[in-house]
Amino acid sequence: MKNHTFAYPFSAIVGQDLMKEALLLNVVNPKLGGVLIRGEKGTAKSTAVRALASLLPEIDVAEGCPFACKPDGTDLCAACTAKAQAGTLVPTRRRTRVVDLPVGATEDRVLGTLDLEAAIKKGEKHFEPGILAEAHRGILYVDEVNLLDDHIVDVLLDAAAMGVNTVEREGVSFSHPARFVLVGTMNPEEGELRPQLLDRFGLCVQVEGILDIDNRVEVVKRRAAYEENPAGFAETWADKEHAVAQRVERARALLPRVGFPDELLRLVAQIAVDMGVDGHRADLVMMKTAKTLAALDGRDIATREDVGRAAELALPHRMRKKPFQDIGLDKTALAGSMEKGLAK
Amino acid sequence: MQNKRAVRPQVYPFSAIVGQERLKRALTACAVCPSIGGVLARGQKGTAKSTAVRALAALLPHIEVVRGCPFSCAPEGPHCPACATRIAEGETPATNWRPARLVDLPLGATEDRVSGSLDLEAAIRQGRKQLEPGLLARAHRGVLYVDEVNLLSDHLVDILLDAASMGENVVEREGISFRHPAQLILIGTMNPEEGELRPQLLDRFGLCVEVAAPLDLNERMEVLRRREAFDADPASFAAQWAEEERRMARAIVEARRALPQVRIPAPLLRQATELCLEACVAGHRADIALRLTARTLAALAGREDVRAVDLDEAAELVLLHRRRMPPPPAPPEQEKEKEQKQEDPEHQHEHELEQQQEQQPEPQQAEQQPEDARTGEDEGEMEESPPKDEPEDEPGDGESEATGSPAALETIFPVGAAFRVKPIVYKKDRVVRTGSGRRTRSRTSQKSGRYVKARHNPAPTDLALDATLRAAAPHQFRRRQELSSPQDIAVLVRASDLRQRVREKRMGHFIVFVVDASGSMGAGKRMVETKGAVLSLLLDAYQKRDKVGLVAFRGQGASVLLPPTSSVDLAYKLLEELPTGGKTPLVHGLSLGHELLQRQLRRDPASFPVLVLISDGKANVSLAGGKPLAEAKLAARTIAEDPRIRTLVVDVEKAGLIRFGLAEGLAAEMGAQYFRIEDLHARDLVDVLRREVLESAP
Repeated sequence: MKNHTFAYPFSAIVGQDLMKEALLLNVVNPKLGGVLIRGEKGTAKSTAVRALASLLPEIDVAEGCPFACKPDGTDLCAACTAKAQAGTLVPTRRRTRVVDLPVGATEDRVLGTLDLEAAIKKGEKHFEPGILAEAHRGILYVDEVNLLDDHIVDVLLDAAAMGVNTVEREGVSFSHPARFVLVGTMNPEEGELRPQLLDRFGLCVQVEGILDIDNRVEVVKRRAAYEENPAGFAETWADKEHAVAQRVERARALLPRVGFPDELLRLVAQIAVDMGVDGHRADLVMMKTAKTLAALDGRDIATREDVGRAAELALPHRMRKKPFQDIGLDKTALAGSMEKGLAK
Repeated sequence: MQNKRAVRPQVYPFSAIVGQERLKRALTACAVCPSIGGVLARGQKGTAKSTAVRALAALLPHIEVVRGCPFSCAPEGPHCPACATRIAEGETPATNWRPARLVDLPLGATEDRVSGSLDLEAAIRQGRKQLEPGLLARAHRGVLYVDEVNLLSDHLVDILLDAASMGENVVEREGISFRHPAQLILIGTMNPEEGELRPQLLDRFGLCVEVAAPLDLNERMEVLRRREAFDADPASFAAQWAEEERRMARAIVEARRALPQVRIPAPLLRQATELCLEACVAGHRADIALRLTARTLAALAGREDVRAVDLDEAAELVLLHRRRMPPPPAPPEQEKEKEQKQEDPEHQHEHELEQQQEQQPEPQQAEQQPEDARTGEDEGEMEESPPKDEPEDEPGDGESEATGSPAALETIFPVGAAFRVKPIVYKKDRVVRTGSGRRTRSRTSQKSGRYVKARHNPAPTDLALDATLRAAAPHQFRRRQELSSPQDIAVLVRASDLRQRVREKRMGHFIVFVVDASGSMGAGKRMVETKGAVLSLLLDAYQKRDKVGLVAFRGQGASVLLPPTSSVDLAYKLLEELPTGGKTPLVHGLSLGHELLQRQLRRDPASFPVLVLISDGKANVSLAGGKPLAEAKLAARTIAEDPRIRTLVVDVEKAGLIRFGLAEGLAAEMGAQYFRIEDLHARDLVDVLRREVLESAP
């Protein structure tokens, strides 16, 4: 998303609070592992993700580096290492990117490939970075993630698991860091996600069309105003947008200091066991989400309410043990489990 | 090109992994003794499988290599051609010690990078034909790690198998002929939800471990604490564990040194062989691995004699994936490979189940909780509770009274227990197809699918740049001389160099289920079992990424419950809600199913359409005013005349005193494979399927 175009402001999105919260949580804490937004067409899914771009913090990068190297980092790419040694490395700041992964993208475009020009002109093998390089330290956005080709999903999982993109193809052997927040949207009617990919999304929210008449009218009104005059609309919402950005900023600063008492750890583990999730990822995400929720609220200690809300975001897509069960969360079971966890 | 190999973010320390003792033991044992043959870790997602493997890298002992040798030759051999020459000439090459490597084999890798290929730069600049070593060379004397190994494309698996069986990598491509030693510890991790591993590859893994998250709260809390501490500050977390890591690394080195002295007492040697016999393992690989592992474990314990505990522990690691059902009649020699391909996982699976059942013998629970039985929790349990012939009482949802009077009442039956379907595999043909799925591999013409290799093609639509350049490279020197005027390019490419990418994708089938939902199906437990059968086929379809459609017929007509979709979830939901009752308009169902297939074929002429009819064949509603049964047979013949469509009939008629055999007759008309529902999970079905399905493929 370029800065000079006026995206629809995040704060101007009507309703869909859960989705907005899940997105903000990921902005505050990129380690949550992204969010999967499930819902029918036309529920502001894509709008919200694109609007997120303006709330993202600026990051330090080495100028001109295709791998977004941290200028003071220890794991610089080859080109940056050379530059650093020659003293020509120029640090700069830029906004965190939201990078699109189109459903039709090919493997070489995603992973990166042999640089055609260098190969033909100079007879040298160079790596031409792909989408994963671009998304490093940013957000990787996949619209209609359930329609992604299987082999693309495989390579995506590979990279997401390690935080490193390892390319061993087409005569190229290369690896570079690729840590990104994975944001996906999907319409469940068009097919489900593979469990393995599902599990890679930290959080999952279900969005539905707004049924309240007044709110629906408001949606249309705002959209019309935006389309008529994007700049003016953005201006109107600038204050609100700024407030959200500040809230995110504060939460980010607070996050490392948020405490997580032992009884909550126990609660998290109890919920995970009771709800029958696979592995430990759900536990980890619940804990991190609860902490991040506290930070967004301006508190330096997480509470049981945070854990409850975190469970609702972290569990829905991890509940099913079998390909055919409905995705969703049994709220009564969750409440029961929380009681049990706290009683101890 | 500058290989930036060093990208390894701070790795979670091996010794800091909570629990997962068996996995850690298996990995440690392999680090001590590479000839054990590697580890396969199977299990749920998010259970520290990959973390443990990656952490192992830090514990691998150092190895002595010939200085500067790109193939990491050991001074004592085996040697690569270059080192062999040097030594033959009487030279004693200088050596140095370095840590053994852990090399990642990413799923998106192409063949040239795995086995190695022509060094492009050397070819263009110096006109030399030289091998650029691939991953197999890098991993020599180290670990080759494949995450999600069950998703690795078959052609890469083939290369791995070749290298693993010979201990060397043979490169014959692009005018290069080269061989170099490639002895590696193969470590794979996989989630069985995504499909099983090919048996040949499975057998290559010396050890196998099932991984699951602990249910103990304290253990889980400790996982959380440590992970959070690591995420907050990886470096200082690693520092905290450094001492423990050093201790483990030392233990591995010491065990490796002690291993040659470790002996197995004769009685235990005998017991080891008995264990292998009991497990009905194929071949001798298990015996060898078992003894070696037991000795390694003893060495790790600092002993020079193997004890029963070592053997027991080793048996758990070695035999888990090799166990088979006793005793398969010796198949003819040429069928052996197929045999392994299809039967081994089943045998092994069934045996695992036996073990599971022994551990938790609660057959009654399934009856008390029909919900569990009908949905099953995973593959394992699915088979654990196969549809019983004399099962628990009727579904017990207050709907069962309808079963006695199958006429008019509409009933919704629960979905019967699922079971694992025997693999249905079609032969690969030469039709170029599009689509994605996992059942049958096929070449694809779209510019998608995995880039497998390149092929000569003077007018490529999908240029394989790397291969083209490699083809052109050796000719550069000559071509430049032939040029009249110098040009500002490094590589002169001629049409004869052009290479086309060959891509491969697994093609899914398009399966239409035509399900009888008439009143007669309500009798006994038929509908419950039918739903169970469809569910089983659906599960199979899910893993193979097939597209499915669902047609049901009852009362006065048929309807498409589920248009072609790859959302098998949706199909399940509909199946669950499918009511039963009324007459049997079989012909309606068949025609509609046929229509659905034809529509799909028009849209995508290259799909593999399959029609699955599930019925007792008692047609009693006419479409065109004729006799219902005759009409149904006519419809069946029409389908049989379409050579593209493969068919399968599942007969749900109860075996009893009187059998009408109507569905069987229908199957004959349709040229379909015919199964009775009670056979669908029987062991001997493998043979039937192999004979019927494989040979009926075009």
